[in-house]
Amino acid sequence: MATEIREAEQNASVSDSDSGQSDFIETNEIPGKSSNTLLVANDSFEDLSYAELNNTIVASPMGTINSLVKKKAKRSLSLPEREHVEDTVSESEVDDSEVETSEICDDSQVDMIEARVTELSLQETTSQTADAQIPHLMTNTDTDYVNSPEWKRQKKHIFILSESGKPIYSRHGNEDKLVTIMGVMQALVSFVADSNKDTLRSIVAGDHKFVFMTRDHLTFVGVTRGKESTQQMFLQLTYMYNQVISILTHSTLTRIFKQHRNYDLRRPLSGAEKFFDNLLNLMDVEPGLLLTSVRCLPLDSNVRDIVSQTIAQHAKVKDLVFALIIAQNQLVAVVRMKKYYLHPMDLHLILNLINASESFKAAESWTPICLPKFDAAGFLQAHVSYLDEECQTCLLLLSVDIEAFYTLSECKAKIQERLIKYNALAAINNSLKRNSYSIQQCSISDLRHFLYKSRSTAQYTSPELEAPYNTKEEKERLFGLYYYLHDRIHTSGRTLKILFHVGAYETLLGWVTTGFELYAVFGPLVTKMSAIHAVNKLLRWIKKEEDRLFILSSVTF
Amino acid sequence: MSGGKVDIKVVLLGKAYAGKTSLVERYIHNRFLGETVPYQNTIGAAFGAKTVTVNNQNVVIGIWDTAGSERYEAMSRIYYRGAKAAIVCYDLTDKSSFDRARFWIGELQKYEQGCQIYLCGTKFDIIEDNPDLRTVSERDAHALALDVRGENYETSSKTGKDIDKIFTKIAVDYLASKTAHKNEVDADIVELRKHPKKHLCQGCS
Ligand SMILES: Nc1nc2c(ncn2[C@@H]2O[C@H](COP(=O)(O)OP(=O)(O)OP(=O)(O)O)[C@@H](O)[C@H]2O)c(=O)[nH]1
Ligand SMILES: [Mg+2]
Repeated sequence: MATEIREAEQNASVSDSDSGQSDFIETNEIPGKSSNTLLVANDSFEDLSYAELNNTIVASPMGTINSLVKKKAKRSLSLPEREHVEDTVSESEVDDSEVETSEICDDSQVDMIEARVTELSLQETTSQTADAQIPHLMTNTDTDYVNSPEWKRQKKHIFILSESGKPIYSRHGNEDKLVTIMGVMQALVSFVADSNKDTLRSIVAGDHKFVFMTRDHLTFVGVTRGKESTQQMFLQLTYMYNQVISILTHSTLTRIFKQHRNYDLRRPLSGAEKFFDNLLNLMDVEPGLLLTSVRCLPLDSNVRDIVSQTIAQHAKVKDLVFALIIAQNQLVAVVRMKKYYLHPMDLHLILNLINASESFKAAESWTPICLPKFDAAGFLQAHVSYLDEECQTCLLLLSVDIEAFYTLSECKAKIQERLIKYNALAAINNSLKRNSYSIQQCSISDLRHFLYKSRSTAQYTSPELEAPYNTKEEKERLFGLYYYLHDRIHTSGRTLKILFHVGAYETLLGWVTTGFELYAVFGPLVTKMSAIHAVNKLLRWIKKEEDRLFILSSVTF
Repeated sequence: MSGGKVDIKVVLLGKAYAGKTSLVERYIHNRFLGETVPYQNTIGAAFGAKTVTVNNQNVVIGIWDTAGSERYEAMSRIYYRGAKAAIVCYDLTDKSSFDRARFWIGELQKYEQGCQIYLCGTKFDIIEDNPDLRTVSERDAHALALDVRGENYETSSKTGKDIDKIFTKIAVDYLASKTAHKNEVDADIVELRKHPKKHLCQGCS
């Protein structure tokens, strides 16, 4: 079945139309458009160019937290005792005595690299000769493990390793058993870097794609036989990198490796594996990461107003930068400090933190979190609590004051009390129970599913997954179609405006304007004209529903 | 749970997996989920409170259950600062967790002299079932507790053994010290309110 699809795509008719948005829709009618910025909206997929991805310096503001803290210090009457949050890794625990197991970057072994690529492509055929050539590199258990059908069957592998080739994380299997394979990956990266003064970005071997990204002494490797393009894999690796920063901060990460090139990063990351696992799982089911935008919980706009106003009123405390309510990975409300915005990529890290941690359900928590797009250099402190018995609606209060817990705890109690009183919690719960909405509600014949992103607000909406996309395989296939469409529209030289694609089982229409991105999936028989007619109808429907589907106003403290 | 309403701040410290969260769950909610729910490491720290009545007096105990994961070590002070009591947990079946307990005791002695230490060996039910699994002898633990003029407890969150006992002891000790140093304590409170100590999150620059 997979091959059939591929053939169909090769024969697909692709049309690239330059017709501007004005032909189809008036600018001021863009659904979900708002000039009240809530999330950082300036980034589009194209911003994540290879140039940026190659840049080892994070292009994010550093010192936002510091400047906020300085303001706080000025404000405070008594001279505040300035206390640095100390290094996450203290000198004593750094094991410097460790010796690298193998000098695999040695020139003499460059020859074997080619042979290893076959090995790396996770095919059934093991390269016996390669093994024979470098017996000291691969122990038997390693080989067995990497060759186990279970490991090879995995559709997507993600690895994180240190510059010296030390395994840090593997999505599947125990990274301890992958010392050799990770060494080979690092050898590939270093070889290209050392000999050509170049950067290894990707290797295609059979139906596998290998994508490499080096940042801050870490190498991220993605191996997929799915539909993701190289660029899309880069984006996924960038999320992984951001997750590392979120746990450690950029400053700590760079300092660790400056002091100890061989440091085993698994120590400070221990207990955080679940964040990587969960993030990767999210990426397979949640289009928001691909679209760098978030989904809002559908809610009557007056209910949403009540929620944000309640937060704004009862969490009016100094040093609180963001307050947000999320429910089942969807945004319910955000209130922010004037002049500060949340970046959707940071928001996805927050969603991931909540999504991956059962422990927040037990009690009010107080935990550091670094938001790399906000400030990669330091931590915000997060007060995390659930507002309802069922632990579905989560309140997060992000502050720069590490002593604010009790104050925020009082805020939480007040917010909770008011939201119950105004029936807002019940409304949130109802919305969660109702599911999002069915494609039927849009009453557009032959339209099966869609993703619509409002670029100005960095929010997206899409209907529930229904038949035929209700099995795991079909969901994956649909996701693959979106990957394909998204990639075609964004990375084929220049951004296409409209793309019409006839596949074997469905017809796709992608449409990108300055205001929105729309990816629509139709039945196979739809014509181009009727598809365009349909998406116009769809846009009108979204416009009609926009108050419910998007957060269009931006509330500050 | 406001900080103002808490009489005693208690902090739980100890290696990851030592059983801190389970201990708090048993104490506050009188339940043990370990048989049905897989281990979930704590993120940052969790706060809970419970009121106990000792000598006809109500005492609100505010409990900070910290994460044992190493990366929080550097910021652990924000959790134990001002604690009147620390329950330093080690797993009776894991020798390395006892070394980690020593480490925490060292930290407390260095930075938080006013904090009374209660040493706590966890998962007693396991060694009760199979004494061979004990890796920390009562004698060693007792000696360590004596060093810090504290006491050693061996508890089980599964059966509930001796959990209430620790917290009651903490409350009793607190009340005793309060009456003994009533004047000093009052002075302390005024002092704190006059000069609120601010600790700023500087990030890690
Ligand atoms: N049999 C038994 N198991 C226990 C007991 N206490 C804890 N456990 C188990 O030990 C594991 C770790 O317990 P937690 O309470 O989560 O450990 P923790 O110290 O909070 O760990 P961190 O949050 O990572 O620092 C869990 O699987 C518990 O079910 C006990 O008294 N008896
Ligand atoms: Mg815990």
